[in-house]
Amino acid sequence: MRIPSQRDLRAALLWALVMLAAVGLSSNVLLRTVLVAPMVFLVSGHAMLRAIGIKTSSLSEHLAYAVGASLVIGIAGGFILNAAGLLTPLGWASWFCAVTVAAALVAGRRSDAPDLPPWPGSVPVRLSQGTAMAAALLLASGAYALAVHDEATYRQFSYTAFWILPPASGGPARMTVGVRSAEANTQRFDLEINLGGQPFAVFHSLTLAPGETWSREIQVPISATSQRADARLYRPDDNRLYRSVSTLVPRRQDEAR
Amino acid sequence: MCLTAAVALLLVVAGHAAGRRAYDVTPLLFWSGVVLLVVPISLRIGWPGVARGERLFLLFLFAELLLYYKTVYSPTSFIGHDEFLHWVAADDLLTARRLFLSNSLLPIGPTYPALEILTTAIVNLTGLSVFLAGTLLLVILKGTFVVALFLFYEAITGSPRISAIACLAYMGCMTFVIFDSMFSYESLGVVLCMLTFAVEAASRDFDPRARLRALGLIALLLACLAVTHHVTAAFAAFYFAMLAAFEALRRQGASRIGTTLAIILIAALAAALPVLWVMARGNPLSGYLGPAVESGLRALMRKFSGGVTHRPEVSAISQPLGMRLTTAIAVLLLSLGLATGFFRSLALATSSGAPSGWRPIGDILKRRWRDSRIVFLTILAFGFPVSVILRLTQSAWEIANRMATFVFISVGLVVAVSIVHFWQGREARGWRRAGPAVALSIIVMGGITSSAPDPIRGRYKVGADQQSVEAMGIDTARWTNEWLAAGNRFTADRVNRLLLASYGRQDARVRIVAGVDTARLFEAETLDPDILRVLARSDIDFLLVDLRLSTAPPMLGFYFEPWQPAHGKALSGSDLLKFNDIKGVSRIYDNGWIVIYDVRGLHENS
Repeated sequence: MRIPSQRDLRAALLWALVMLAAVGLSSNVLLRTVLVAPMVFLVSGHAMLRAIGIKTSSLSEHLAYAVGASLVIGIAGGFILNAAGLLTPLGWASWFCAVTVAAALVAGRRSDAPDLPPWPGSVPVRLSQGTAMAAALLLASGAYALAVHDEATYRQFSYTAFWILPPASGGPARMTVGVRSAEANTQRFDLEINLGGQPFAVFHSLTLAPGETWSREIQVPISATSQRADARLYRPDDNRLYRSVSTLVPRRQDEAR
Repeated sequence: MCLTAAVALLLVVAGHAAGRRAYDVTPLLFWSGVVLLVVPISLRIGWPGVARGERLFLLFLFAELLLYYKTVYSPTSFIGHDEFLHWVAADDLLTARRLFLSNSLLPIGPTYPALEILTTAIVNLTGLSVFLAGTLLLVILKGTFVVALFLFYEAITGSPRISAIACLAYMGCMTFVIFDSMFSYESLGVVLCMLTFAVEAASRDFDPRARLRALGLIALLLACLAVTHHVTAAFAAFYFAMLAAFEALRRQGASRIGTTLAIILIAALAAALPVLWVMARGNPLSGYLGPAVESGLRALMRKFSGGVTHRPEVSAISQPLGMRLTTAIAVLLLSLGLATGFFRSLALATSSGAPSGWRPIGDILKRRWRDSRIVFLTILAFGFPVSVILRLTQSAWEIANRMATFVFISVGLVVAVSIVHFWQGREARGWRRAGPAVALSIIVMGGITSSAPDPIRGRYKVGADQQSVEAMGIDTARWTNEWLAAGNRFTADRVNRLLLASYGRQDARVRIVAGVDTARLFEAETLDPDILRVLARSDIDFLLVDLRLSTAPPMLGFYFEPWQPAHGKALSGSDLLKFNDIKGVSRIYDNGWIVIYDVRGLHENS
C-alpha cells in the first residue's frame, strides 16, 4: 500500500494553530468564523479519520465521515470541557486544537494508513455557466436580504405599551412609569397617577413618535400600609381613557426588607 | 438550474411578504416559487443517464435550497416551537457555562445536550449569535444528511441512480423539509444515525482490520447519538438489532460469521449506550414519551370507534384544497411505488439480483439473500401505511411524524427500485422516461405540503405556534427583560411562554405548581378559590395574558399545551381579564392586547 501524502495533516496542524491564535487574539467575528467553521465541521474530523485509519472510497464519502467525526469531537469536547469547567472560547479553541494536533501526529506515525480517496478531476466551467451561477448566488442573497428587511420592518399590530412598576425591593422609594409607542403615527398622551385613591402626579401632552419610549421614576411616600398606585393614559385627541395600569407600593417594613 | 432555483427562492420570499399583508396574489407567488424550486431539480435528478457526480451535487444543492426555503419563513430568528426550547437551553448554557441545567419547558432536554453543545461551541469560538451559529450548524447537517443517505443507499444497492431517486423519494417525507431542519435535537440525531448506517454498510466488505477501525467510528457516532436524541437512538438500536437478527437468519455468504459478529457487536452498542446514558441521568424518558404515545393511541382508537374528539384536526381546519390534494396524490404515488417495488426490492437482496420473476422470492423464503439491510428495509416499508393511518388524529399525528423520518428510509429504497426496475426499466423512453420523474416531483411537493399546516407566513393566528409569533409578542417579551430583569417566574399561554423564555430570558412555567396546569388558571370564567390559593402559594411572580386568544379558537386546537384537557369553547375576554379585581394582583403592563399581572402581592397575603 502506498504511504499517503501528509500534506493534509500538516495543513490541519497549521489550521488548528492559526484558529487557536485567532480565537485568543482577535474579536473579529468574520475572521474567526472563516477559521473556526472548517475546524469545527471538517478539519478536526479529517485528522481523526486519518488517525483511526478509516478507509473511504470517494471524496463525498470522506467528507461526510469527516463531518461526522468532527461532530463527535465537538460533542465529546462539550462533556470534557464541562467537567473541567472550561466551556469558554479559549477552552473550546484549545480542545479542537489539541485533538487535531494529537490526531495529526498519530496519523503521521501510522504506516498502514489507507490512501486518501482520489480528488475528482476539475470540471470545466464555461463563462456563461459561471455568470449564471454568480447571478443565482446574488439573486438568492438578495432574496434573503429582502426577507430580513421585510421581517424587520413589517408590523401587523400598532399599539402603545403603558406600564407602572413598584419600587424595587431594597432600592429607593421610586416607582417607574413608562410609555412606549409602536403606533404608525406620532401620538399625544396625557398621563395621571393616583396614589391611594388621591391624585398624585400628572403629565400633559406627552408626544411620542413611533418607536419612542418615555419613562419617569417618581418618588413615592412610603406609609405603614401598602398603597395602590393607579396610572391612566389618556388620548387628548379623542378624549378617552386609552390604558390603565396599577401597582402596589409596599409598606414601610416591606421596603426595608 | 441554479438561476431557476434562485428565482424560485425570490418568489417564495415575495410570497411570504405578500402573505404578511394578506394580498390575494400570495398563493400564486409562493406556490409558483415552490414548483419552480422542486420540479426542475427533481426532474433532473430522476432522469435516466445523469452522471453520479451531478446527481449527488444536485441532491446536496436541493437539500440546502429546501433549508433556505424553511429559513426564510423567519430569516432572523428561530420560530418553531421546539426551536425555542433548544434556543433557551443554548442561551442558558452560554450564560452558566455548565451542562445539565434544568429546562422547565423541555424537562428531558438537559439529558440530551449535544445540539446545544455544538451550537454554543460555535458561538464561543466565532462570536456569532445563537441563531446564526445554529443555522450554520443546520446547513452542515442538512448537506451531510443527504450525502450520508445517498452513500448508504449506494452501498447497499450499488447503483447511484437508485440511490439518487431514493434520496429524492425520501424528501417526500413530511418531516424532511421542516421538522428535521429545525434547530432541534432530532435534526442532529438523524444525521448521526444516518452516518452510522452509511459507515456500517460501506464497511461490510472490508478486511477485518479495516472493519474494526470502521467499528471504532461507528461506536463513537453511536455514543454521540445516545446523548443527542432519544427516539433516533432507539431507532438506530432497533435497526441494528433487526439487522443482526436477519444476519443470523440468512444462510448465504462466505464471510458470514465475521459479518454477523460485527453487526451483533454494533447492535449491542446501539442498544446499550442509550440505556446506560438514561440510567446515568435518571429516567425522564418514560414520563416524556409515555403520555404522547398513550394519548396518540387513545385518540386513534377513539377515531376508529367513532368516539367524540374535542380538538379539530390540523389538516382539516387549515389547509387549502390544493395542498391536501397534492399530499393525497403524493401518498397515492408512494403507495403505488411501494406496491410495484416491494418484491423487486426484495429481489435486489438476492445473489441473482434479478429484478423480476419469482426465483428471487423463493430465495428469500429459503433465507438465501446477500444483503440483510435491503431485506429488512423492504419489510420496514410496511411502516408507511401505518404512519398514514396514524396521521388521522392530531395526537397520533405526533407519532406518525416521528415514525416517518425512519420509515421513509425504506420507502425511498422501495420506491426507487420500483421506478428504476419497473416503471422505467432498462431503456426508458417516452412516458417511461418523463412519467416517473414527474411523479417524483409530486412526491417531493407532497413532502412540502404535508410539512406544515400553512407554510406561507401570514397574519397573526391564535394558538398556531409559529404563526402566532409576531413583533408585538416579541417586543413584550423583550420589555420584561428590559424593565423587570431576567429570571422572573412567569406563566402564560403556550406561545407567549416561549417568547418570554427566549427573548425575555424569563423562567416561563408550564405549570403553576406540580400537577396544576396553567390552563386551569386562564380558562376558568371566574377564579376558583382553590386555584387562587394554589397561585398564592406558588412561586409565580407574573402572569401574561394575551387578549388576542379571545379573538378566535386556537388553530392547533389548544391554547396552552396539547395534553391539557380541552373544553371545546373559545376563551372570552372576561375569562382572561378576571385578574383585574383580585386583591394582591396588579396590572402592571398593558399594550391594548397584552396585559401583565404582578401576582407577588398574593404571596404576601397567603
